[in-house]
Amino acid sequence: MSTYGFLVDLGLCISCSACEAACKTWNNVPTGRNVRWRRVIDQVIGVWPQVSAYGVSMACNHCADASCVKACPSGALAVRAADGIVLLDKAKCIGCRYCESVCPYGAPQYDATEKKMSKCTMCVDRIDAGKQPACADTCPTGALQFGKLVDLDRKGVKQIPNFAEPSYTNPSIRFVPKEG
Amino acid sequence: MNTLDANRREFLKTSGTALAGAAVLPGFLDGIVRKASVPGALADTPTTLISDCAWCGSACGMKATVTNGALTFVEGLPEDIQGGGKMCAKGKAATGYLYDPDRLKYPMKRTNPVKGVGVDAGWVRITWDEALDLATAKLKETIEKNGRDSVMILGLANPDVWARFQNCIGTSNRFDHWDECFLANRVVSTNVIGGFVWGHDFANAKYIVTFGWDVVGKSKVVWARAVTDAKKKGAKIVSFNPYKAAGTSVVADEAISIRPGSDLAVVNAMIHVILAENLYDKAFVEGLTNFPQYETEIRAHFAPYTPEWAEALSDVPAETITRIAREFATHGPAIAPIHKKTPSANYANGSETTFAITILNVLAGTIDRPSGRYFPRTHTIPGIDAIVPPPAYPTKSGVDIVGRHRHPFLKAVGSGMFSCLADGLRKNPGKIQMGIITRYSTMAFPNPPEVEAELKKIPFTVVCDIFPNEIIDLADVVLPSALYLEVSDLVARDHHAPYKMTVVRQPVVPPQFETKPLGSILLAWGLKAFPEYWKNPDGTPINMGYVLDEKTKRAGLGANFAEMKAKGFVKEVAPFVPRTTFPTASGKINIYVKAFADAGFEPLPTWKQKRDVPSSQYPFYLLTIIPPMHIRNTTENNRITNEIKGTNEVFINVQTARGLGISEGDTIKVRSRVGEIQVPARLTEAIRPDCVLVPHGFGHQSRLMTAAYGKGAKDAILVPGQSMDDILARKDVGGAACIMDAVVSIAKA
Repeated sequence: MSTYGFLVDLGLCISCSACEAACKTWNNVPTGRNVRWRRVIDQVIGVWPQVSAYGVSMACNHCADASCVKACPSGALAVRAADGIVLLDKAKCIGCRYCESVCPYGAPQYDATEKKMSKCTMCVDRIDAGKQPACADTCPTGALQFGKLVDLDRKGVKQIPNFAEPSYTNPSIRFVPKEG
Repeated sequence: MNTLDANRREFLKTSGTALAGAAVLPGFLDGIVRKASVPGALADTPTTLISDCAWCGSACGMKATVTNGALTFVEGLPEDIQGGGKMCAKGKAATGYLYDPDRLKYPMKRTNPVKGVGVDAGWVRITWDEALDLATAKLKETIEKNGRDSVMILGLANPDVWARFQNCIGTSNRFDHWDECFLANRVVSTNVIGGFVWGHDFANAKYIVTFGWDVVGKSKVVWARAVTDAKKKGAKIVSFNPYKAAGTSVVADEAISIRPGSDLAVVNAMIHVILAENLYDKAFVEGLTNFPQYETEIRAHFAPYTPEWAEALSDVPAETITRIAREFATHGPAIAPIHKKTPSANYANGSETTFAITILNVLAGTIDRPSGRYFPRTHTIPGIDAIVPPPAYPTKSGVDIVGRHRHPFLKAVGSGMFSCLADGLRKNPGKIQMGIITRYSTMAFPNPPEVEAELKKIPFTVVCDIFPNEIIDLADVVLPSALYLEVSDLVARDHHAPYKMTVVRQPVVPPQFETKPLGSILLAWGLKAFPEYWKNPDGTPINMGYVLDEKTKRAGLGANFAEMKAKGFVKEVAPFVPRTTFPTASGKINIYVKAFADAGFEPLPTWKQKRDVPSSQYPFYLLTIIPPMHIRNTTENNRITNEIKGTNEVFINVQTARGLGISEGDTIKVRSRVGEIQVPARLTEAIRPDCVLVPHGFGHQSRLMTAAYGKGAKDAILVPGQSMDDILARKDVGGAACIMDAVVSIAKA
């Protein structure tokens, strides 16, 4: 059971990517390897001129039924019992990429230089220090929020267009749909 | 391992293999290796320093974390109302600039006499003394032989030390990018409300209408935050933009498609409705503006600009224009922000558009009111000339190669005119014998190949910069400048300043490599070239530390700079007292600008078409944006922001593409009357079918920028330059640069 989750308010995400830069610098994710724990995915729904455009900031959704954890043959991926954060132990990772193939969200990514997987930790070090994850902490418009899933459930919904069926892995992400 | 891709903690883990990079990154690695080799050094407690982010003028306060002598992280300063504790991607990527392996590291001189963008200059490393001796000899020789105006400066008129150096040279040929940004706005605002102001108070507004200026999509945190805060409090946001994925359109309640360059028609029609229905703020307009004096002229002027007339030009339905005008006037407090680039610099009618939007705000009665565009309340920090008065400067001729002296309002401002520079250089062959260029890429100009062809004819050019952008390929001597993370200053911000506040800028790490702060460079160069201006009365060199101490003291920020560094941030929260008089000659706001009429310009915003309109040969409007994670022409080589967006494409409406047989990813030739680029097609439903959009900032050709080199194409190649004759012929009071005023054809390559 996940304690924490992310909420994306689609009416507020301006695709500025501050979240990604914050993620990259706080977690020291190497550049140049196409390893991007958090990304903004631009969406355009409808047909001109009746269109709705918005960004969706997306990283690992720390699913309650995480397919990556189930697929991992080495025990490198595991759920932290206390709060449900899905963490990768790089020492155990054998780089088989099974997790990559089963994740609907592209969260575990292969670092070809290290020959190991790499993924969002929900900034577990910051959470343990009583802080927000770096991404939500810097979001200028408040489009990306972090909190307890029970609170986020009151603010948002589980599904938006083009998002993988949530019943599959029970992801810890909620959305405030865009009006109009 | 790619050592050039080093990041700090990553490097520490693998310092053995990364040592090969020491030759490339001497300053940085020296520090790390030395500290890491001391037992126990890795346990150093991280230090947090307050400073500011200098990537845009809002200069958000930030906290910089330094671990083992290296910057590891930056975050916003919550008590500062610019960023409010938030930072954008550009600011967050601080380590990407500081530790960019491509940074200019030491002074260099060229050995290959053949200049050209993309041509190897054959750089050799020289000492600071050699570089400044060479630059000084050339500067003195040029002034002596050819006169002061034979030296051309491409650089801003600030900071104060740079202004002092420019005044020592005494040339009238100083140019900057203002015409591509806010020059038209400056001319208009100065004459209408009495000053050019950045201040916009969105958070208290109930109705926000944007024309062309994508205030949110620019992703300046101060405004992205304020507009969305207003939205959360129930304000209505209306965005007129031909591209519905622009940030402001994304957060807007109504995203209205508009024909490019027709904003002026819609704004004039809104003014028509507000005047016809007497919906303006009567107390404000009748009491604080010259409306009573010129009411007849003003009403007569706007009478023909009906919503039906505007619909034909803009494709915005007349009833929509009427409704938005009524809502704007009655559902306030309302603001129509007017800032920079769009819409004041984009099109040939930018000055008039700015003028009309300014009047719209005046009619709403929100100039210098909460929720409006306002005069910032800032600390007054004296410049170096007030602290160490210089001897009399040489008198400037006031005549420049571009011809600002022929235009009364552009002459008065004395800035800008990048859009006319190629023309000015071409018409004055051999006039410019030396160039001094700070922090500009040739990508900052319309039609870069045209300006590059002229700049490379200048016999001797000194470039002072941080990154090796295209301009380096046209330089003879390169002076490496320090980053904002390595220098000291006091920064009184004006983007959102309802009360006085100043943040310190302090070196979070020492200058890397052999880079120096601009102030130190100019002092050293000044002592060689113009010693009498860079010495105290007793003959000793000016002490920049003393100057900073005096600035701190005289601005009332503390006893000295050390105290300001310790405080980090000073704010004097005070009630916002709205102005009842304005800094115009009469003390009243000029809706009707007599000064414009007296000089032969239109005293009220008069409809004018944009310069380039679609034809059978070039059927599409060109749109450009600066992607929100980038500063134009500057941040593309940062490994972090480059990874987020490292190249560009042409956005084409899906139906349009289908009609032309274009599929997603096809290579597309985009051609205008002045140039052609090739970029991949990106199909979208978010753009008008008669427009295509090419994001700006890509297509770097400097091979020394290894992350950005060769990725994407320059939209500016499609944009024609202009001349002062063009500006005068269209009676353009603000000299808009027309940086998006182009039409194009598209075809599969």
